[in-house]
Amino acid sequence: MLDTVGAGSAQKAAQLGWTGVVRFLHLAPRAFLPMRAAETITLVAGKGIEGDRYMIGNEEGFYSHKPEEGRQVTLFELETLVALKRDAGIELGPEEHRRNVTVEGVPLNHLVGRRFWLGETLLEATRLSVPCRHIEEITGKAIFDPLINRSGLNCRILQSGIVRVGDTVRNAA
Amino acid sequence: MSARPITTVKTIVTGIEEAGTGVKLFTLADPDRWELPPFKPGAHIDLHLPNGLVRTYSLCNEPADNTRYVIAVKREADGRGGSRALHDDLGVGDVIGVSLPRGGLEPDARIGRYVLVAGGIGVTPFLSVARHLQRTAQAEFTLHLVVREEVPLAAHLGSLIEAGTVVVHRTSREGRPDLAVLLGDPGPETLVACCGPEGMTDDFERLTTAWPTANVHIERFVAPPPIIDPDAKPFTLSLARSGTEIQVRAGQTMLAALQEGGIDIATSCCGGICGACNVGWIEGRPVHRDRILSPYERERYLMVCVAGSDAERLVLDL
Repeated sequence: MLDTVGAGSAQKAAQLGWTGVVRFLHLAPRAFLPMRAAETITLVAGKGIEGDRYMIGNEEGFYSHKPEEGRQVTLFELETLVALKRDAGIELGPEEHRRNVTVEGVPLNHLVGRRFWLGETLLEATRLSVPCRHIEEITGKAIFDPLINRSGLNCRILQSGIVRVGDTVRNAA
Repeated sequence: MSARPITTVKTIVTGIEEAGTGVKLFTLADPDRWELPPFKPGAHIDLHLPNGLVRTYSLCNEPADNTRYVIAVKREADGRGGSRALHDDLGVGDVIGVSLPRGGLEPDARIGRYVLVAGGIGVTPFLSVARHLQRTAQAEFTLHLVVREEVPLAAHLGSLIEAGTVVVHRTSREGRPDLAVLLGDPGPETLVACCGPEGMTDDFERLTTAWPTANVHIERFVAPPPIIDPDAKPFTLSLARSGTEIQVRAGQTMLAALQEGGIDIATSCCGGICGACNVGWIEGRPVHRDRILSPYERERYLMVCVAGSDAERLVLDL
């Protein structure tokens, strides 16, 4: 029963309640390198982001030895950065969480298994991201615990396109 | 896709420059000249040399110079082989893996004066600090460089020597300088730092025992022993399927010990929450520390990234 209720609630939330915005875009070509901000990024269906370390066929990421189709693009909530500052006193910039797209107004945790539009590109969310010690090593900040259950969303790219800062994020049900 | 995890920052050698007798400056950069992981003034990196050696060198460029790591290496003919490998075998265009930078001086707005004391090639981290302080003009500084005769990295220190911020003390002419005089009196706005041979750092440590610890910094060539939880104890992992035994040092993770022993374990978060390194256990008293296993699951499984052992021996289903 919980499965049915859960799925129904998520569906309603996803269909009815939200429209979000792309606030920041970041990528890096290799493991450990600082993420660089971009005004636009190019998403390639079934592959990844041009120039990013997890582009399939050109993988140089920290987790590239563990292939995952749903890591073609990763998202993170701006609201989490605000909450980290408010609740834990931790200043974390959008370039530090190491996900590609920082969105505002998008309930990422509700979208697992669902499709949604990121600007002109169509994504399918495959799983929630989990925090990792690697990110603490790189940032030097104790963010593992505060990021539990809110460290972003991993997605597959279904439809290619260019994503721009300011683009709308909306449900594709 | 690489079969093994990427554990180092990939760099290529973009420049090699002679910088005095037996000293070479190596410039390392990302293959696309992307910004490199940031560092503090005077930080150091590990170089993973092609022959398998891992050696630590101070960065001598400053943090704002963020697309390069520049290291100065003195060829030690009788050393352990790291400097020889770099001098003799490394060429421009070669790929070399390096660690994330560590150490260096924490920025501290209260410090108004830095007194840096270097012995010989120990000047490298302070060249980074001096360049940083000169550019930011956030504090006064004097770098006392104690050498027998020849000044290492002379071409790079020249303008600082002319400006009077680097003072060279040649022991062949003047004998050893009085460190206590160079350091002066302790003060909350003064930070003193030393990098050089062991005798010099020992003297420096003795002279600064009365200084506040936050105002004293020693840059050592050899890493200090890791701080280990006094309650942590070593234990033995017995691998039931392969019939081998692996020792876990006090404070070491089971995961690190298994990997050292050549056992390939899938990992991801390394913090006890993703479940990738789940391993069955058969006998012993594991200390779990993960955040995902239920009490029932803990009777059979553990996460090797965070779990420990409360007994001398733990049998794993590996």
